Amino acid sequence: MANAVQAHESVAQADAHAPHAHIQHDTNTGISNTKLGMWLFLASECLLFGGLITTYLLYKHPLEGPTPKEIFDIPFTSTSSFVLLMSSLTMVLAVSAIERGDHQRLRIWLGATALLGATFISGQIYEFTVFVREGLGFTTSRFSSAFYTLTGFHGVHVTVGIVMLMSLVLLSLRGKLPEHRAETVEIVGLYWHFVDVVWIFIFAVVYLIP
Amino acid sequence: MAITSHDPIPTAQLDGAVKDYSRDKVYVLTALFLAALTVVEVLTYAFPDFPAWSGNLVIVVLMLLMAIKFFTVVHIFMHLRFDKPILTWIFWAGVVLAGGVYFAALCTFRIFWPGSHG
Amino acid sequence: MAIIEAPSSDQLALPSGAVVSDHKPTGAFTRPSSGATGWKSWLTTVDHKKIGIMYGATALVFLLIGGFEAILIRVQLWSPRGTLLSANTYNQVFTMHGTTMVFLVVMPIGAAFANYLMPLQIGARDVAYPRINAYSYWMYLFGGIFLNTSWLLGGGADGGWFNYAPNNGILYSPSHGIDFWNMGLLITGIASLAGAVNLIVTVLNMRAPGMSLMRMPIFTWMTLVTQFLLLFAIPVLTVAQVLLMMDRTFDANFFNVAKGANPLLWEHLFWIFGHPEVYLMILPAFGLVSDMLPVFSRKPIFGYPFIVFSGVAIGFMGWGVWAHHMFVSGIGPISVTAFSLTTMFIAVPTGVKILNWTATMWGGKLQFTAPMLFSIGLVTMFTIGGLSGVTHSVAPADTQQTDTYYIVAHFHYVLFGGAFFGFIGGFYFYWSKVFGYMLNEKVGKANFWLMLLGFNLTFAPMHILGLQGMSRRIYTYDAGYGFDLWNKVATVGAFVLASSVFLFIFNIFYSRSKAKSMPPVSADPWDARTIEWMIPSPVPEYNFDPIPTVTRVDDFWYRKYGETNDGKLVRIAETDDVIQKLSDGKHIHLPSPSYWPIVSAFGMPIIGYGLIFNLWLCLIGGIIVVGGIYGWALEPADDPDAAHDDHDPADHGPDDDSAAAAITEGADAGDIATEKEPETVG
Repeated sequence: MANAVQAHESVAQADAHAPHAHIQHDTNTGISNTKLGMWLFLASECLLFGGLITTYLLYKHPLEGPTPKEIFDIPFTSTSSFVLLMSSLTMVLAVSAIERGDHQRLRIWLGATALLGATFISGQIYEFTVFVREGLGFTTSRFSSAFYTLTGFHGVHVTVGIVMLMSLVLLSLRGKLPEHRAETVEIVGLYWHFVDVVWIFIFAVVYLIP
Repeated sequence: MAITSHDPIPTAQLDGAVKDYSRDKVYVLTALFLAALTVVEVLTYAFPDFPAWSGNLVIVVLMLLMAIKFFTVVHIFMHLRFDKPILTWIFWAGVVLAGGVYFAALCTFRIFWPGSHG
Repeated sequence: MAIIEAPSSDQLALPSGAVVSDHKPTGAFTRPSSGATGWKSWLTTVDHKKIGIMYGATALVFLLIGGFEAILIRVQLWSPRGTLLSANTYNQVFTMHGTTMVFLVVMPIGAAFANYLMPLQIGARDVAYPRINAYSYWMYLFGGIFLNTSWLLGGGADGGWFNYAPNNGILYSPSHGIDFWNMGLLITGIASLAGAVNLIVTVLNMRAPGMSLMRMPIFTWMTLVTQFLLLFAIPVLTVAQVLLMMDRTFDANFFNVAKGANPLLWEHLFWIFGHPEVYLMILPAFGLVSDMLPVFSRKPIFGYPFIVFSGVAIGFMGWGVWAHHMFVSGIGPISVTAFSLTTMFIAVPTGVKILNWTATMWGGKLQFTAPMLFSIGLVTMFTIGGLSGVTHSVAPADTQQTDTYYIVAHFHYVLFGGAFFGFIGGFYFYWSKVFGYMLNEKVGKANFWLMLLGFNLTFAPMHILGLQGMSRRIYTYDAGYGFDLWNKVATVGAFVLASSVFLFIFNIFYSRSKAKSMPPVSADPWDARTIEWMIPSPVPEYNFDPIPTVTRVDDFWYRKYGETNDGKLVRIAETDDVIQKLSDGKHIHLPSPSYWPIVSAFGMPIIGYGLIFNLWLCLIGGIIVVGGIYGWALEPADDPDAAHDDHDPADHGPDDDSAAAAITEGADAGDIATEKEPETVG
C-alpha cells in the first residue's frame, strides 16, 4: 500500500491521502447539504429569471427606436448560443473526469468550459456594442431597458460561473481537489447548466419567436 | 472505507446517483441531440415559410423544442434523472411555480390576445 | 458545514495500518478561537442560538423605532387639522413604519425563533451552514441600519410600504428615500434568501434519528413552509426592486409611462411577492401557538396531520391570490372573478387551523399562563382579522374598502393580533429555555390584558373609520366628517399599546433581577411536550448530548407519560429522570467561529451608498464583498485547536471535507451578492 501511495504522479493526487470517510453523506435525505442547498437556490433563481422574462415579454414592442426584429442578428446569436450549449457538454465531461480520478482531464475540461463561457460573454459584449451603435441605448425604449437588463443579468451569472470554474482549476492545480471532493465540481456544474438552461429559454423566447 | 486512490470510486457514492450509468457516452449523445434541436430552431428562422412551422405555428414548434432542450439538460446533464427524487421535486416546484404565476400575470395584461401589448 | 461528530480514529487508518497525520486542511487564514467570550464572541459567532438571540434583540430595537413612528402617526391624527407632522413628513413616517414593522420586526422575529428553536426541535447540533447563518443576520442588521440612515440623509421613503409605480419614480419622489428603501430591502432580501436555503436544508437533512417529517413539531413544519415561501417570494421582490433601481439610478424605462411602460407591472410583481409574504409572517406564529396550546391544554394537538397540511396548503394557495390587492386597478372582470374565488378558498385551510386549535382546547385542563393567554389572544384576534379579510375577497365590497382604514384595521388584526401576539407568547414560553430564568407570570398576565386592551382600542375603531370613508395615508382630516371620536380612541389605544410593550421590556429586566435570588430554572418548567425541553436551561452550546432518538410526535411527553387502557394519562417517569444532564460536551465537535460573514456583509451597504451617492463607493464595497467571500472560501473549515476536543489532532482530517463545501458555499453567497451588484448589470 505504501508503494501505491508513492506511485502518485500528479500533484493533484497528493491530496488523495485525505481520508474518504465522508463519501457517504450522513444526512436524512442522503443528499449532501451543499448539493441540496444549490438545488434550492436554483429553484429560487427560476422565479428571478421568470420575472425578468415576464418584463421583457410585456415590453418587447417598443414605442420608439429599433424593434427586436430590426436589430437582432440571429445567425450571430445562434452561434454564441451553440457555444454556450456545448460548454455544458465540457462541464459534464469535467465532472465525469474527476469521478474517474483523472485530474489532468478535469483541468482540461474545466478550462474548456470557462473558455467557451468567455467566448459567449465576448459575443454578448460585441452584440451590445453593435446594438448601441445602431441606436439601441439602455434608455432608448421600454424594449431596450428590458432586453439589456434580462440578458445582462444572464451575462453576470455566466461571469460568476467562469470565476467559479477558474477557481476550481486553480484549486486542482494546487492539489486541493481530490476525488472525494468531486461533488464540489458537480455543484459548480449544476450552476453552470442552470445558466445554460436559462439561455435556452431566452434564446427561444427572446430571439427566435417573432 | 478503505478505498485507495487507484480504485475508481463507485459513481453512485460520488454524486448520490440512485443507479450507475455509462456517463461519457450518454453525455456526448445528449449533446449531439441538443445540437440537432438547435439546428431545427435556427431553421425556423432561416426558412420561415416551411409548412411545418408556418405562421403562428412557429411559436408552438419553438416552445416545444425549447421545452425538450430544457428538460434534457436538466435531467441528463444535471442528472436529475439519476438522482434522488426530492431534488426533482424541488427544482420543478420552482419552474412550475414561476411558469404558473408569471403566465397568470401576463394573462391579466392580456398580452396573448392580438392587438393588445401591455 | 454540517457538524460532524468527532470520528473514531479507526476510520482514518489506511489499509496499511498507518494513521494519516500529515494531512493539512485547505485554508489560508486561521479562524478566531472558539473559546472567545464577551462582545467579540458575538461578532464572530456561528452558533445558531446566539444568532437567534441577536435576531430577536435587533428586531426588538427596530420594534421601538417602528413603534415610535406609529405613535407619531396617531398623535398627528388625534384631532382634525393636526400640525405635528407636515404632509411630506407624514408620508415618510407611515412608509417607514410599515417597512420597518414588516421587514425589520415581524419577519426577523420569525427568523429568531426559527434559528433558535428549529434546530433544537429536530435534535440538530446547529444549522446546515453556520457561517451563512451568521451572514444572514449581519445582512439583516446592516440592511436595516442602511434603511434607517435615510432619515439622516435626506428623508425616508414616502410611497407607502408597497411604493406603487409610477409614484416611486424620480419624477414623483425626487428625494433619495425610495433609493434607500430599495437598496435596504435588497440587502435584507439576500439575508432572507440565504436564511431560507439554510433552514430548509437543515430541516430536510439534519433531523435526529427517528424524527421523520410527520413527527416534527408544528413550529418546525411551519418554519419549513415559511422558508419555502421566502425562497420563492424573495426573488420576485428582487426583480421588482432591480427594475426600480434601474429606473431611478440609470434612467431605464420600466415604469416610465411616457415610453409606454405599464405601472401595473410593479403592482403585480410586488403582490406576487407580497401575498406569500403576509403568510410567511403569520405562519411562524401559527407554529408557536400550535406548540403552546397543547402544553397548556394538556392534550395532544387536535388533528396533527390536518394542521400540518393546512399550513402547507396555505403556503401553496398563497401564490394564487395576489391580485386581490389590485381589484380597483382595472385588471378586468375575468381576473377579478378568478382572484376573488381563490381568495375565498384560502380561508378554508385557515379555518381548519382555527378549528384545530379550538378542538385542542376543548375538554382540556386549561392552564391560563401568560403564553396560553397570548395564544388564545392570537386565535381570537386573528379570527377577527381573518373574517374582515374574507370581506375583501368579495370584489364589490373590496372596491369600497380599498385604501380605507378598514384595510388598516384588517392587516393590523392579522399582523399584530395574529403574528405579534404569537411571538410575545413565544417569548414568555421559551424565555427560560433561552436565558435560564422565567419571565414573571403576574407581570406577564398584566402584559397580556394591557396589550389586548390597547390593541383593540387602537385598531377596532379603524373598522368604523374605514366604513365611514376615512382614507388611509391621509395626513389630516377636517372636522365634521364624524372621524374625531374614533381617531381619539385609536390614539389613546396606541399609547396603551406602547405601554404594554414597555411593560414587556420592564418584565425582562425585573425578572432577571428577581431570578438571582431564586433557584435555577428547571429544564421543563411547563411540563411540555417537544424534545427541546429535554435539554438543560439555558441551552448548552452543544444542544443535545446525546442526540435523542425520536419515536413519535411529542416524543418528550411520552417519555414522561403513558396512557392506561381507558385513555387516562399516567406518569411513567419523573421529569428529572428523562431530561438530559449537563455534560462537559468535550467529545462534541462544533463549528468554529468566523470573521468573514460580518466582513462580506459589511460591503453590501457600502455598495448601496455607492449607488445612491457615488459609484466609486460601489467599487470599495465590491472589493470588500468579494474579498470577504474569498477569505470565507479559503479559511479552514474548522479551527484545528477548537476548544471542544481532547482527541488527537489527526482526528480533524475528515472535517476537511467541509472545506470543499465551503468553497461552493462561498461561491453561492458570492453569486447571490454579485447578481445584486447592479453596476455590473446591463
